[in-house]
Amino acid sequence: MQGFRVFLVKEAREITRTWRIWVLPAILVAVGVLGPISALLAPALVESLAGSQPGVVIEIPEATTLDAYLQFVGDLTQIVLIAVIIASAGMIAGEVRSGTAVLVLTKPLSRQAMVVAKVVSNSVLVALSTALGSFVCWVLTVALFDDALVVEFVEAVAVWLLLALFFVALMALLSVVLRSQAGAAGAGLAAYLLLAIASGWGPAREYSPAGLVAASGRVLTGENIALVWPVVTAVVGIVALTVAAAAVFTRQEL
Amino acid sequence: MTAAVELEGLTKVFGDVRALDGVDLAVETGSVYGFLGPNGAGKTTTLRILTGLARPTTGSARVLGHDVVRAGNDVRAAIGFLPDVPAFYPWMTAPETLRFFGALFGVGGKELDQRVEALLDLAGLAGVDSKVGEYSRGMRQRLGVAQALINAPRLLMLDEPTSALDPIGRRDVLEMIGALKERTTVFFSTHILSDVERVCDTITVLDRGRVVRQGPIGEFKRDRGAARIAIEVDRGGAALAARLASEPWCVGCTREGETLSCAVDDVDAARRALPALVAARELGLVRMVEEETTLEDVFVELVGGAR
Repeated sequence: MQGFRVFLVKEAREITRTWRIWVLPAILVAVGVLGPISALLAPALVESLAGSQPGVVIEIPEATTLDAYLQFVGDLTQIVLIAVIIASAGMIAGEVRSGTAVLVLTKPLSRQAMVVAKVVSNSVLVALSTALGSFVCWVLTVALFDDALVVEFVEAVAVWLLLALFFVALMALLSVVLRSQAGAAGAGLAAYLLLAIASGWGPAREYSPAGLVAASGRVLTGENIALVWPVVTAVVGIVALTVAAAAVFTRQEL
Repeated sequence: MTAAVELEGLTKVFGDVRALDGVDLAVETGSVYGFLGPNGAGKTTTLRILTGLARPTTGSARVLGHDVVRAGNDVRAAIGFLPDVPAFYPWMTAPETLRFFGALFGVGGKELDQRVEALLDLAGLAGVDSKVGEYSRGMRQRLGVAQALINAPRLLMLDEPTSALDPIGRRDVLEMIGALKERTTVFFSTHILSDVERVCDTITVLDRGRVVRQGPIGEFKRDRGAARIAIEVDRGGAALAARLASEPWCVGCTREGETLSCAVDDVDAARRALPALVAARELGLVRMVEEETTLEDVFVELVGGAR
């Protein structure tokens, strides 16, 4: 892994000095703010809509802490995961397309080191952004509702984060194989759709990362779900996808 | 002494296209070696193989004694490389760029500070605070040469370093390359003949993936192409041109007004006969000059003739 440390430092500096420091954290903070607020306002909104229809009476329960957290993890699984997929699509393809890969890879930097540094830096960005967004969501939820379900909330976010990191590794492989940012993004979104569909099938849900897709909400609601195999296969998948991306990239001609 | 670059039967095939077809080449250590050829000749493919960006289909390539396929790390640690269009991280400044590349080579501390400072001076970028993304093409190319020198390489490989530059940018980059003579071996691919004439001492001409000729630049000019002698007379140029065309040493004669340019295959015979022929016709000889064979003449003869 020649040059790994130097390239990882470069990646960290690139994140902090370009648009990348704003996009994902901003989306996560926005989602963190919107989760509790939309949960709070949803009953009033539905009531006002129902009130405009004569003769319609809808009983809407008061919003709770659970609603706020469910709204947040729902947004994570949809909006934020799609953002992660799109933002990670150019991980390797972007460097190849721009020509910077040619310059750095003719120095003592191994291709494995470049791929692993990319996966690590993107994963850290996703993890820190998630922590920031979750913290904002928790603060607002405590302010607007109460401080219940904190452990469940942390578990639910951790489950989603593992799914997001699985997609970061998958995007590294797609970015290397397809050599196109747009192509990798499209393939990543297709993979997400397939995983979401697979999560509706029992064996896939129980024994593959597909089980993580809807798991966050179920963890929050206290459902007793078996997460061992989805977690194990996701962790193994992250390692395997990263190794595969490095192996394919090492064999590619630039 | 180990050759800086040795290619033996180097072949690269893309589908049905043989980009390189059995290239044999040896670059002497310490030389400024021109790798010359028209666009599509295979120059960039050769450099991509030498730098480990691509693999040969057959044949071998050695850089500073290391096989480029089996000992890629050793090769990359010892060379400096400038691609034809160097791309940098646009958010970095020039000093940051040089420090990053220096760190990849394991250079650090005061040594890195000194190298960065010296290379910024060499590239004319000292005191430039803007980010590389705001640089002109010429500035990026000069930074490209500087980054290729950050590890004090034993071999510097430059791929078309002047092809997209304006005359001032070209002059600056050629001056930088010229300043490297005797400090390192330079392997320099280009299709710009005047650049080769200006900085290289040995050249290889590549065309359609094959070596057409290689050797010292002076040998090329001496061995290839008919010499030309230009004469200017005060009157009667047309009649003189017709007379010269019948001389056995005259290969061809062109005329512009009273100035004649004669291609000759026996320079000594032409030198003796021309003044006498002018005097015999009672013409005034204004000027008689032997025109040097340019690399362009040689190149056209080697490559252009085959098209």
